[in-house]
Amino acid sequence: MQGEFVIETRGLTRRYGRKLALDRLDLAIPRGRIHAIVGANGAGKSTLFRILLGFLAPTSGESRILGHDSQRLTPEDRGRIGFVNEEHTLPRWMRVSQVTAMQRHQYARWSQRLFDEVIGHYHVLPEQKVGELSRGERAGFNLALALAQSPELLVLDEPTLGLDVVAKRAFLESLLYSNVTEQCTVIYCSHQMEEVERVADNLIILERGQLKNMSAPDDFRARVTHWVADVPFKGPDPRTVPGLLEVQRLDGLHHYLVLDQSADFEAFLRASGARSVQSMPVTLDRAVNAFLAKNHAAPAAA
Amino acid sequence: MRDLFKSEALRFRGWTAALAGVHLIVLAFLTRMEDLAQQRIFVHTAFAGLYALIGLLLGLFQMGGYRKSSQWLNLLHRPLSRHRIALALVSAGVLQLAVVVALPILLVAILQETTTARVVDLRHWMLPVSALLVSSCAYLAGAFCTLRGPVYAIAALPLLWWLALSNAYGFGMLAVELIVFAWFMVLLLDAFRPDLSAPPRGAGALATALPLQLGVHALIMVFFVGLELVWIAQGSHPNNTATPPAGGHNEVENADPRDRMLAGLKDSRHPDTQLLREQIRKSEPRTIPLPLPRLPQRNELSNFRLLEFNDPGRGVRWVFSHDDMRLHGHRLADGRDRGILGVGADGAAFPALAAPAWARPGTAGEDLLLTAGDTLYQFALESQQVMPRVRVDAGEVAMAALLVGQSFAVMSDRAIYFYPGRPLASKVRLPMPGQVGDLRNLELIDLDDGYLAAFVYSSRSHTPAGTAPFQILLRAHGDGRIETIHRRALRFDYPVLYRYRAWWISPALYTVRDAALDLFAPALPLDATDPAPMPRSIPWLAAVLSLLSLAVAVWRTAGTTLSATSRLAWTAGCGLFGLPALASLWLMVPAQPVAWVSRWARSGAGNVSREASASR
Repeated sequence: MQGEFVIETRGLTRRYGRKLALDRLDLAIPRGRIHAIVGANGAGKSTLFRILLGFLAPTSGESRILGHDSQRLTPEDRGRIGFVNEEHTLPRWMRVSQVTAMQRHQYARWSQRLFDEVIGHYHVLPEQKVGELSRGERAGFNLALALAQSPELLVLDEPTLGLDVVAKRAFLESLLYSNVTEQCTVIYCSHQMEEVERVADNLIILERGQLKNMSAPDDFRARVTHWVADVPFKGPDPRTVPGLLEVQRLDGLHHYLVLDQSADFEAFLRASGARSVQSMPVTLDRAVNAFLAKNHAAPAAA
Repeated sequence: MRDLFKSEALRFRGWTAALAGVHLIVLAFLTRMEDLAQQRIFVHTAFAGLYALIGLLLGLFQMGGYRKSSQWLNLLHRPLSRHRIALALVSAGVLQLAVVVALPILLVAILQETTTARVVDLRHWMLPVSALLVSSCAYLAGAFCTLRGPVYAIAALPLLWWLALSNAYGFGMLAVELIVFAWFMVLLLDAFRPDLSAPPRGAGALATALPLQLGVHALIMVFFVGLELVWIAQGSHPNNTATPPAGGHNEVENADPRDRMLAGLKDSRHPDTQLLREQIRKSEPRTIPLPLPRLPQRNELSNFRLLEFNDPGRGVRWVFSHDDMRLHGHRLADGRDRGILGVGADGAAFPALAAPAWARPGTAGEDLLLTAGDTLYQFALESQQVMPRVRVDAGEVAMAALLVGQSFAVMSDRAIYFYPGRPLASKVRLPMPGQVGDLRNLELIDLDDGYLAAFVYSSRSHTPAGTAPFQILLRAHGDGRIETIHRRALRFDYPVLYRYRAWWISPALYTVRDAALDLFAPALPLDATDPAPMPRSIPWLAAVLSLLSLAVAVWRTAGTTLSATSRLAWTAGCGLFGLPALASLWLMVPAQPVAWVSRWARSGAGNVSREASASR
């Protein structure tokens, strides 16, 4: 069944003792394109994936993946969902050819052409043991296996973590050049904003188990502006600054990163005594980091 | 599935080959030194323990490699059912154990059968199967414990103990091993879920709950052992006080044979008491060492008793074969075949398993005695023939022979037969005054006209199965009359709570445990006992504990998300099985967080949410 959404959650809650990992999360990810999920450590990303793949039960709420209850996935459902994790977990004792043959037997929609195409980006030999591959080669091999399964949904959980620049670039290129999004929806979870900016069509931000943003990356970046104001003395009380994400004083100038502020913000700064005011766009990396850092846990006395 | 099986087989192939090689070399070496097939049961048990350890380590290591959440996800997130994945892994594990454990045993058995004159019976061909099942059960236990975590390891313990403590033998033991294997498979398949933290469900919950409760029961027993150690350290334990409690069975058991017989005459009003006391003082009582080792059973996998003896004059070892029920001889010097020995001149098969008797009284030279069923046989060294010599009453089992003064005595499981001198024409039968399983001490002396036998029945008086301890002296007159000289009751040395501790904790589990241990184990003559009546206080105590468990279960299940049927089942189970069931309820069924914690957590999360909204 071709539903509108590949992932749907309603009131999804997961509690570990007194700690809430997911807090009544309502999420609906439409079919197609590449969706990036970002969030600080502990935002609930891993918990969300584990629930979606049926490896953890929610405390309350419901979750569906490819239109099926994620707690009742059949082997056929699993065959339609590819998953690549940060550790690129593969049987280290087997040869590349043996792992490939095993996957080819298990996945009915195996695409040898796609596998050869992706693995071609790496210098991986069939007779090599998985344990002998470098981390980057293992990541590429894992991606090739996942893509060749021809999944309808591909979940990539921090796939480039720990890879060097060369391996990271090879990974992204093999992902983008595979035209994978023509056939499947990709969920890309990463802390690397430059990667997200490069691959994602949709940016989903989770924070403390709640959905904080779902929009195109550029749209989110546009919501965050950087204001530089020459304000004598201390400047306005940060608690009174609307939409404040971050404030710094550098070389006598106040730098404000604010969310969802229009040109009225300049008036606010001037009313607060600013002699000169300038605004400028920010990178996605800076916008997301400032957003996530805003509510970071801090000692009560801070 | 086949791919995963091959993958797992590849994973451990190096270790498998190395361990199989070492095992084969060790067995081949030991076979050169000893006949491994004819070892006592404790030797085979030690080997079984080693095989179980190998299996357990394989299970722990194999599943431990997948236990990490990313590995687990990678293993199970594929278009195969979880049960097929589990079966692929288990098949590979069992295949590796077959190569490491069973194959070397089989090869050594083939070597022994084809190149030596040693006996290799059908039962010996079953040894590789049994070894494989034992190691596979331990392997599944290790896998199950790895997936379920340490709390559920309590459920694996009684199943492994069942293998170690079962009274079954031969093919019955193989059946027990198969049941334990199947049980562990059910446990493993239930545990083999994507969500490893999910509690057992359905048939898996039932299969887990019972061994878990038996495990808790066993742990309570272990706790009592700890208390007993404190009792011993404190110095008031009946077994280690400076002098045993007066009038108790320990006092009698610890005495030397003569004093024990004299103690049996304490408070006796028999007119011959003084005379008998003098007789005892002048005599050297003959003692039969008790408890007797278990009687050999046909097709037992191991040996309760060794069915072999040496003919030192000819340098020949005779070994009894279960298959053709005859003795097979081979030379000690070079192992060459020395033929087959049956009963009589025509070498007929023995009607029952023949074991060497302990003594060789009343026989010519160094002739040997064998017991087989109700008959005592003499192996005449001179003629190299086995002839029946003495037969006890039908239905009894001859177990030992010894000299009492000038007389020859044969002990069966129900009586003692005295044969006054040679030839063994007439006999005096002295029926035993209790069950042989309760018999703790037996002394015999020869009187001028008859025999005096002193029995102490207290062997299992520290358990619910044992009789009320007593000592009794019987006199067998030469004319066959049997007279009770004196019977005196002995005190229980252990408090009633101690003796019945395994019972009052949970009478139902006690019954289940005993039934499991006796499954496929026909009652053996030496196991017969005459249990003492249970004091009334014990059933009352058990009932109170069951009711208490039931009441707490009602309260506890109210705080869970269990269905009404499950709540009813758990509550009834706690009422039936008592405290161990209540403990298993606590371990298996997570309680819902109490209401105020939920509210507190929600309000805390709400504050965070509001702060975030405000920041926007």
